Amino acid sequence: MAVTVRVPGSLKEWFRGSDEASCQGGTLGECIDQLDHEFPGIRDRLLNEEGEIGAILIFLNGENVTKLEGLATSISDGDELGVIPFAAGG
Amino acid sequence: MIIDDPRSKFIFLYHPLVLMGRSYTVYQGKDMTNGEVLEYWGKWLVLGEKDKLDELAEKLDPQVENKEIPCIKYDRTPPLNLGVEECVMMVYCDRRNRDEVWKILAGFGIKMKAWVTERETMEMWLPGGLLLERWMASQDYDEATRDAVREDAGRRIAHVLDNPEETYKTWEQ
Repeated sequence: MAVTVRVPGSLKEWFRGSDEASCQGGTLGECIDQLDHEFPGIRDRLLNEEGEIGAILIFLNGENVTKLEGLATSISDGDELGVIPFAAGG
Repeated sequence: MIIDDPRSKFIFLYHPLVLMGRSYTVYQGKDMTNGEVLEYWGKWLVLGEKDKLDELAEKLDPQVENKEIPCIKYDRTPPLNLGVEECVMMVYCDRRNRDEVWKILAGFGIKMKAWVTERETMEMWLPGGLLLERWMASQDYDEATRDAVREDAGRRIAHVLDNPEETYKTWEQ
């Protein structure tokens, strides 16, 4: 499943200067694993010390994934993930 | 109408009627209750540099004037104290209208979809909530002041949660 991941300009360094990346996986967790292969360390940026979503906000097609099934959220071909700093949500 | 008062940390876009006391938390012409706001109200987030958001605000102002978008606010400066390095624009609307509002934003080139509900926002600002605690830390409050701020935040939010039938009143910012 090919997924587009978008980040705001302030997080472009995460994707070597691009505000967009692509990844694959059947679930959000698998997508993050795959991203971490291409961009080592990104898992630690996206997940907290317990390996859970919490340090930032992740959206699947606009929906906060913590309101879906978290890392187990199913991903479909063509989906879009958005990542923003947690505090931007307040 | 763009309200750009340098004394406020936010720049607002309201319909002129809001300045005359009308609420912007309205659905189909009727003021929303606390319960309806918790169920339906939210915002699309747009992050960017201040000048880019100024340009976007100019483009969105007509949609606020014709009531397609109820309200917008955005940061005058990046909220660095909360760990955010860009300005954040919050484009408020009812969930039941959010697809139409998203089409407007997408039409102006916004790509990243991020919807946050008012309930989620309130949870972030509850006593012990990450944003409230982070904000208080940035203010360098002593413990007594922190406790007072927590109590006030808790009381305000509890009132909304405990009175779902009451007409929602927006908070002064």
